[in-house]
Amino acid sequence: MSLPLKPEFPLALQTGDLAPDCELPDGSRLTELRGRPVVLAFAPDTWDPTLAHQSELFAQLLAEFGSGAAFVDAAADEWHALDCRGELAERFGVVGKRALFLLDEQGIVRWKTVVEPGEDLRPGPVLAALEALHPPTPAAASPATGVLASGLTRRTFVTATLAAAALLLLPGCRTESSDTNEQAATGSADGAGSGNGLLAVTLRINDKNYPLQLDPRVTLLDALREHLHLTGTKKGCDHGQCGACTVHLNGQSALSCLTLAVMSQGQEITTIEGLSTGEALHPMQAAFLKHDAFQCGYCTPGQIMAATALLQDQTTRTGSAVELREAMSGNLCRCAAYPNILAAIQEVQRA
Amino acid sequence: MHPFQYQRADSAEQAVATVTKNPAATFIAGGTSHVDLLKEGVYRPGLLVDVSALPLRQITAHEGGLRIGAGVSNTAAAASAEVRQRYPAVSEALLAGASVQIRNVASMAGNPLQRTRCPYFRDPTQACNKREPGSGCAALEGYNHVHALFGASAACVATHPSDVAVALAALDARVQTLGPKGPRTIAFPELHRLPGTTPHLDTILEHGELITSIDLPAFTGRSHYLKVRERASYAYALVSCAVALEMDGPNIRRARVALGSVAHKPWRATSAEAMLAGQRPTEQLFRAAADAAFAEAKPLKHNAYKVPMGRQLMVRALLETSSLQPLQGPAGTAFAASVGGVAGQVASPR
Repeated sequence: MSLPLKPEFPLALQTGDLAPDCELPDGSRLTELRGRPVVLAFAPDTWDPTLAHQSELFAQLLAEFGSGAAFVDAAADEWHALDCRGELAERFGVVGKRALFLLDEQGIVRWKTVVEPGEDLRPGPVLAALEALHPPTPAAASPATGVLASGLTRRTFVTATLAAAALLLLPGCRTESSDTNEQAATGSADGAGSGNGLLAVTLRINDKNYPLQLDPRVTLLDALREHLHLTGTKKGCDHGQCGACTVHLNGQSALSCLTLAVMSQGQEITTIEGLSTGEALHPMQAAFLKHDAFQCGYCTPGQIMAATALLQDQTTRTGSAVELREAMSGNLCRCAAYPNILAAIQEVQRA
Repeated sequence: MHPFQYQRADSAEQAVATVTKNPAATFIAGGTSHVDLLKEGVYRPGLLVDVSALPLRQITAHEGGLRIGAGVSNTAAAASAEVRQRYPAVSEALLAGASVQIRNVASMAGNPLQRTRCPYFRDPTQACNKREPGSGCAALEGYNHVHALFGASAACVATHPSDVAVALAALDARVQTLGPKGPRTIAFPELHRLPGTTPHLDTILEHGELITSIDLPAFTGRSHYLKVRERASYAYALVSCAVALEMDGPNIRRARVALGSVAHKPWRATSAEAMLAGQRPTEQLFRAAADAAFAEAKPLKHNAYKVPMGRQLMVRALLETSSLQPLQGPAGTAFAASVGGVAGQVASPR
């Protein structure tokens, strides 16, 4: 691993050092997080992709990383954004600087980078270094769970490193502007009731109630994937054009990307996770397997949710190919597995 | 998305009062179009008042016709036996629009209130008088292949994208609203505006005015909707046509024809309607009527194709409505309504 940066700083915690125990902003202590890797990012601003300058930087990172827009809204709740003006920054020796620390399962600093105020940082080298340290490759992950050898899920790792790297790109600490920053952060969502802009929302998903605190902007899709980690529902286009995010609302198919989570309160939400009974697949799932009704599989949960909802739909009562094609036209398959998808649905309809 | 507050309305009256007193507030119903506009930064409301849980979800008999509650889903309205049998153009238009998932959630009042699909409106980096009054119109000299033939202005050449609005205009539906000044009835053809110098206003609805129902008047004639698009299904119309035909023996007593995706609002072809009244239906008559309807068309650089396409589509819609040509599929289904492609094939039992 080589870094074209100046990662060394005389007073900062060094690679190989045991990170001092401390309290994190969410109230947990660093020692309580032993057993899993931790990303600590010191920055003058908290990560909020709705703030224009941050989303711009993040978009720039994504462009370089080539991971697509699917991560833009991803919340990285397994990393910790820390104020570089605070006591923690003092203990880590990075007061007034942007810095990133990766701690391993034992709490040892495995890698770090510190950016001097005024210094420029390009995202490419940071990402290259992070990847080299902890490659998010399929080979390193358990195929069933996507969990890396370290215990970190692949998507969390990618999201966390992207978000952390974005923090590092932010302008250096300017203590005189701290008040402005805080106002910008809280003012944006303030006034919706609880002061922080979050609403208490209870979603009923797959016959279980999930109480959540959500910003009203969170779509049902993001609530499922980012807040509840029900990642079976996929984010494809995020604009209602592809059908990958299809779920059932009160038994009817609906696009979770075009539904605000707060508006789906009181409805019975069913996701792909709720179709099977234990290890026993829903007949539609089994038929998709039997008929090889996918290649990459990304659209498959949406296809299956759309197809299962059709079983109750009177407009496709004959099960003819043209009716089903028309009724399934809201679900795109980039791999063009359409003939097999059709065969799978027709088999279940006839059964 | 720009931050906003959210409130679920308990009653129509409360929703109207809340939005009326807050200039930054807006209603949200199904949200299938609204949420996308929030994501794209086109909409930046301060408060969303959710009217989706209001008890406006019934279809009831009303003055010899039907009253469709504002919150009835597009799916439910299209599937209603009453709608399908008495007003097949409405079911056909609904089923030829969007996808099953969207129709399940989209409301009957929301559908006609959806915003234009002009790509410049949806891109906040482009000039658009509809999105940002005074900023100009990028479509005027841009790629305007889906834009208006009729009633456009130097400020805006956008078209209205709703399918069902075209059918409702042909059937002279009535819109019931509750607004700051109380309830009122709006004739559907009057609901939408032409752009003029104020293209940011799509309709004559006032701020805080909520649609409570769409009423279909008593009607015993035939109606039909026909749509041509760039792909077989799940696409907006390039041109569409709704026909409501009432016969008097062998002659047409009254014909109403509305064209879709050719203007800022469903475009009633009044000159064609006048030519058709009292006449015996023939292909020749329909061709003359279509010629008259498109005589006033003012194509832009990239949408001249819509003139012959629209003319042909209107002739065909009239031929099919008057049974001079068979429908392509069962009346009241997408298969009757769609020209070409998978959806245009006759849906036959297995």
